[in-house]
Amino acid sequence: MMNILKEATFGSINSVYSIAIIIIPIMITLQILKDYKVLDKITKPFNFLARIFKTSNETVLPLLVGILFGLSYGAGVIIQSAKEGNLNKRDLTLITIFLVSCHAVFEDTLIFVAVGANGYILLITRLIAAFILTYIFSKKLPAAELQEIRQENLS
Amino acid sequence: MLINSIKEGIKKGVETTWMLAKVIVPVYFIITFLQYTPLINWIAEIFKPIMAVFNLPGEAAIILVLGNILNLYAAIGGINAIQLTPLEVTIIAMMLSFSHSLLVETAVSKKLGISVTKVILIRISLAIVSGVIVGRLGAII
Repeated sequence: MMNILKEATFGSINSVYSIAIIIIPIMITLQILKDYKVLDKITKPFNFLARIFKTSNETVLPLLVGILFGLSYGAGVIIQSAKEGNLNKRDLTLITIFLVSCHAVFEDTLIFVAVGANGYILLITRLIAAFILTYIFSKKLPAAELQEIRQENLS
Repeated sequence: MLINSIKEGIKKGVETTWMLAKVIVPVYFIITFLQYTPLINWIAEIFKPIMAVFNLPGEAAIILVLGNILNLYAAIGGINAIQLTPLEVTIIAMMLSFSHSLLVETAVSKKLGISVTKVILIRISLAIVSGVIVGRLGAII
C-alpha cells in the first residue's frame, strides 16, 4: 500500500512539473505577443488563407489568434469582429470549423511532447487536417458574391 | 512594458499549472490505484477490440474518455500513470488534439453560432480518422 501511495505521489508531482516547465514559458511568450500586438502586425502574409477560403481579410486575425492562443481567445476576437460587422455568416462558420479542429497549437502540442509524443506529427497533421476540412466546407458554402447573385436571381 | 508582460505571463503560467495540478494529481492517483485492482483489466478487456482499431491497448479507452469529457490535463495524468510506448502516446495525442474538452469547448463554439452536433461530429471524426491512420502507419513502421 505504501508503495502505491509513493508511486502515485512521485509520479503525479513529476507529471505536474514536466507540464509546468513547458506551460510557464509558453504563457510568457504568448503574453508578450499579445501585449505587443505582434499578430495585428503580421496578418498580411497570411491573407492568402482568406483568398483560398474566399473569406474576407478580417478573418485572418481571429484565425491566427485562435491557432496560437486557443479557442476562447479566438472566439473573443471573432465575437468582437462580428459585432463590428466585419464578418458575415459564412466567414464565421469557416473560421469556427478551422478553429474547433485546430487551436492553441503550441500549448496542446508541447504538453503531449512532454509525455513522449512526436510533436512534429501532431502539429503538422492538425494544421493540414483543419486546412483541408475548412477548404472542403469553403467549396460547399458558396462565397458571398455568389450568394448575392443567387438572391438577386430568386427575387 | 516588457517586464509587465513577463510578470503577467508567469502569473498565467503558474495559474494554469495550479489548475492542471488539481486535475492531474487526482487522476494520476486514481489510475495508479486502479492498476492494482482487477478493474483495470476488465476495462482493458472490454475496450480491447475497439482500441485495437487504433493500435492501442484497452486501457487507453480511459485516457480518451478523460480527455474528451474533462480536458487534456486529465488525459496527461492518465498517460503518465499507464505505461505506454512513444507510438501509443503519439496516437492518443493525435486523437485527443482533435477532440478534447468537448463539454467546455462545444459551449464556446456554440457562442459563435455553429451547430453543436456539427462541431462534435467534425472533431470526433477527425480523431477517429487520424487515430486509425497514425495507428496503422505506426504498426507498419
